[in-house]
Amino acid sequence: MQVLSYSGSQLVDLCSALLLLTCFAIVAQRRLSACVDLFALQSAFLVMTAALVAYLTGNQHLYIAAALTGVIKVIIIPRVLKKVIDRLNVKRELVMYVNVPAGLLICGGLVMLAFFISQPIIPLGFLLTRDSLAIALAIVLIGFFTMIARQKAVTQLVGFLVLENGLFLGATAATYGMPLIVELGVFFDVLIATLIAGIYTNRLQDAFDSVDTNQLTVLKE
Amino acid sequence: MLEAIFLVVAQVTSLLAVSPFLVGLIRKVKARLQLRRGASVFQPYADLAKLFRKQPVISTTASWVFTATPYIVFASTLSAGLLVPTFISQTPMNFAGNIIALVYLLALGTFFLILAGLDAGSTFGGMGSSREAIVASLTEPAMILSIFAIALTNGSTNLSTIVQKTALLEGTVADPSPHLMALAALFIVALAETGRVPVDNPATHLELTMIHEAMVLEYSGRYLALLEWAAGLKLAVFLSLIANVFAPWGIATTVAPAAMMIGFLVYLAKTAALAVLIGVIECMFAKLRLFRVTDLLGVAFILGLLGLLFFYILRS
Amino acid sequence: MLNLLWILLGSYVVGILLPLCLPRRPEVQSLAASAPAIVATSAGIVLGLLGITSSEPVTISLASTIPLLAFSIRIDPLAAFFVLTISLVGLAASIYAIGYVRHFDGRASVPVLGALFNGFLCSMTLVVLADNGIFFLIVWELMSLLSYFLVVTEHEKAEVRYAGLFYLIMTHVGTAFIILTFLILFYDSGAFSFEAFRHPKQPLPEGMRTFAFLMALIGFGTKAGIVPLHVWLPYAHPAAPSHISALMSGVMIKTAIYALIRVYFDFLGGQFPWWWGFVVLFLGATSALLGVMYALMEHDLKRLLAFHSVENIGIILLGIGAGMIFQSYGLKELAALGLLAGLYHTINHAMFKALLFLGAGSLLYATHARNIDEYGGLLRRMPWTGVFFLIGAVSISALPPTNGFVSEWLVFQSLFLSYQLPTVFLKLMLPIAAAILALTGVLALACFAKAFGISFLALPRSAHARHAEEVSAPMRVGMGLLAAFCLVLGVAPMVIVPLLDRVIAPLAGISIEEKVLAMDGWALAPVNVEFSSLSTPVLALLLTGLALLGWGLAVVFGGRLRTRHYKTWGCGINLTPRMEYTATGFVQPIKRVFSTVYQPTVKLETEFLHESRYFVKRRHFEFHIEPIFEKYLYNPLVAFFTTMADRLRVIQAGSLHLYLTYIFVTLILLLLLAV
Repeated sequence: MQVLSYSGSQLVDLCSALLLLTCFAIVAQRRLSACVDLFALQSAFLVMTAALVAYLTGNQHLYIAAALTGVIKVIIIPRVLKKVIDRLNVKRELVMYVNVPAGLLICGGLVMLAFFISQPIIPLGFLLTRDSLAIALAIVLIGFFTMIARQKAVTQLVGFLVLENGLFLGATAATYGMPLIVELGVFFDVLIATLIAGIYTNRLQDAFDSVDTNQLTVLKE
Repeated sequence: MLEAIFLVVAQVTSLLAVSPFLVGLIRKVKARLQLRRGASVFQPYADLAKLFRKQPVISTTASWVFTATPYIVFASTLSAGLLVPTFISQTPMNFAGNIIALVYLLALGTFFLILAGLDAGSTFGGMGSSREAIVASLTEPAMILSIFAIALTNGSTNLSTIVQKTALLEGTVADPSPHLMALAALFIVALAETGRVPVDNPATHLELTMIHEAMVLEYSGRYLALLEWAAGLKLAVFLSLIANVFAPWGIATTVAPAAMMIGFLVYLAKTAALAVLIGVIECMFAKLRLFRVTDLLGVAFILGLLGLLFFYILRS
Repeated sequence: MLNLLWILLGSYVVGILLPLCLPRRPEVQSLAASAPAIVATSAGIVLGLLGITSSEPVTISLASTIPLLAFSIRIDPLAAFFVLTISLVGLAASIYAIGYVRHFDGRASVPVLGALFNGFLCSMTLVVLADNGIFFLIVWELMSLLSYFLVVTEHEKAEVRYAGLFYLIMTHVGTAFIILTFLILFYDSGAFSFEAFRHPKQPLPEGMRTFAFLMALIGFGTKAGIVPLHVWLPYAHPAAPSHISALMSGVMIKTAIYALIRVYFDFLGGQFPWWWGFVVLFLGATSALLGVMYALMEHDLKRLLAFHSVENIGIILLGIGAGMIFQSYGLKELAALGLLAGLYHTINHAMFKALLFLGAGSLLYATHARNIDEYGGLLRRMPWTGVFFLIGAVSISALPPTNGFVSEWLVFQSLFLSYQLPTVFLKLMLPIAAAILALTGVLALACFAKAFGISFLALPRSAHARHAEEVSAPMRVGMGLLAAFCLVLGVAPMVIVPLLDRVIAPLAGISIEEKVLAMDGWALAPVNVEFSSLSTPVLALLLTGLALLGWGLAVVFGGRLRTRHYKTWGCGINLTPRMEYTATGFVQPIKRVFSTVYQPTVKLETEFLHESRYFVKRRHFEFHIEPIFEKYLYNPLVAFFTTMADRLRVIQAGSLHLYLTYIFVTLILLLLLAV
């Protein structure tokens, strides 16, 4: 069968490609809860990638990292965000700095940029995950762009988390994952950051009656 | 030569025969998911037969373009169908056009449908034509890019050659990533081109939502029958395209009777599976506002682009 | 062949003189102008075909007393191909003119129009035949001037005078750049003959070559109407009489394409870095997309067609640009393919654009209106014009099996074959150009669905349209001829491709006829039969056969039922033209989706009844799209030059003595410099 003839690196590429795909879905999505769902899906793909790399290379600690990702990013963080959305009663991103088609085109450009930048580096690597580095970089850039282009605090948070997913993928791709202790630290950082941002969003709602971070410009006076 | 003629006739017949079934199947799936019994999957055949026997009424405002359009749309869709492999990988008309020709043959039908929508002079028709124009213009670039990603991995833009190569695993063993992107893009394109939810709703006659139905609103009798059949054919063409390019397993690769029988059954199963998927999607999603369709088709375009990027970058 | 050339030139001279000598009878005068033109263009067609097929280029040269100038003519395949194109369109336009110029009787001088028409055709033919730089510039200027006179035929209208002036300025700016190009080429060869340009004594330094490339691109690009140098085109082309618009849009802008190919592939020997091709490709993609987008927003039929000329020049440049990129990487077959696609589109565009302009002329003749929202229902009143216009619309929308489709398909293939290029950047850029071409194609389809649908279908939208009548026989013959060419060029690529191959072979250095034609000429298979193939004759047969099958199925399943005719359901009230979709309404979704490009400003004024705000008395709607290039590029330029001129006014004192002093000082300075 055809499937069997795929090499390990092609499968890793495929998983990273799926991660990138969900990035674009997040950029195109206006409904906040759907954005969070897509983030959870993306994290699930990340778990798959990490587990696959762990299986292919025999790096045991990547299994732990994958499991932690699964628990924190697929289950806990989306739940927290859903709670925030429920409480805030904001369902949609209505006003955007960049409209969706233009945003998509810009992200397409970012992917091209990421690929061009990493093109000279990729052949230097010898790991079977080396192609994913380009994708990881693209995901980081798109996450960043999402934070800039969106107004609502929740989507900005999703952008941040996407960026973090990109970094994790990058670490996996470049060195088969960071040392376990660093990864644990990062996970707790992300978890705490999400919680703090959740609380901050709630406070924003209370203070300004809106989660539009644009309102923060009022603070300078 | 004789063999080629046989294959052409077989392909035309199979497309004509299968397409109403696919339409019926989608309707059935939707009905079941909405907890209705729904009409039989063979209802579209009865509908067509009935429409053919009805006396057509033509607007006094309309010109000959209006009466010629159903034949042109029917012919262009069916010619497009001859360029796509169905149950056998080598289509005799493979040389007559590659996938660009297929896209432009379908565009020929679209062009005349838009004209026909304007011809009766009613506002609904104009509305449908205007909307069809924008949807068509956003789908086509996405389609071209995704097609190119597929063409690259197989070294050909001729559909039959692509399918033959994939079926026999002759060419480069395809990278899964570009194929995946192209598949996703092409699926969105197929939904838009065949007027399915979330782009258009084939079951509506509400002026706010309809696109294809608005253009054919003034048609009746045999003209409507031909247009409905052509719409079914277009669906069949896209489903065959997706099924055979991405999953050519089981397709007949030789002109042996047994292989062709198996090929036909497998073809039926594959397209039916896709039709069921479309039915499920139609139940899961609401129709998008016209100006949100750009978001969806934008995604399709980017996916096609990503397919291309993956092909060039990840192969290094 | 030389005899034919003399017949051609002689007939044009007769065509220029004869109408002016005849007594004031418009019918006779217009016939006296058209008959020589018909003879000349027929001779041109034969000359073109002979020139393409002959093995050796024919040259003829008359020395002159002016240094560096020689009246030399060279008929090589490239020149012959353009003579053929010019003559084909010229023939149709001359026949059409017999009927059409009656329209101008009393408003403009018919004999002068006829004489200018012949002179214009003659100068265009000489432009492509010229074999000497100075001679080329003379006939080039002649062509520009004569077309200017033709543009201002209706000079009593202010907007026509504005269009003419705009055109004159732009074309002269262009000529300045062309002169620079030739001066660079002259710099190293020391002579103005094209032969010397081709074989300079020492090769040009790299910097000079780049400079020549850019100057030629700007100079000829102005004439061709490449974005952002296209701004004059939508003013000038519609202002001219329609058969002249057909010539200007159909062939005059193509002389610039001829000159570009001549300079890049002939004079510069096809040796250039890849970015030249990329620049051409980029400009082509931009022109194609923006051209069609602005065309969509136009409701003046002739302006709409003029914007489509920008689009199609873009498509031609996509082919040529791809060819140049392949050439710079030494992929000769693909370079030839790109050129072939570009040239094929050149002749195709000449045919369908001329046809559409003649169609627009017929509509103008019959209704005296140019806005498509004032047409409607014309297919019943003008059946022949309608059919011909439809054929033109289908061709320009690149739908099978017409000629536009074949050449766009070839452009697509040459862009797709980019996977053979060595750099990833170009591998990605060419398919993206293909996606832009796809978008352009569908937008053109939408635009012509609008143009044809609103003009010819449904109910007449004005009294003009209600009382329109079919145009006279010569006009129909002119259009019919071009419509026939459109179809023939579409279904018979096996006849055209060998001719084009002979044109390209000397430029690309390789013949690809056997590679492009497969299956005894029944199919096109660019370079690699495995990669792609197309057979328009078979597609045409299939379409006809399957349409008959559809008819047969209807008969078999339903029998022959009589059709009932009844009025369109208008929700209970009688259908009126005001209920129809307008052109503005039709393109509204497109305007909204691409609002980033258009930057539309919409003004809606509503006047209510005095008694209640629920009843509307009158509504006024208008929208404008931002003319980006005029606003951000040309206006600042004009403002800059005006300020500079103001500054210079200081030295303008109006005193004769002062001016004499200026001249005297200049003379002294020059003398000092010369020492």
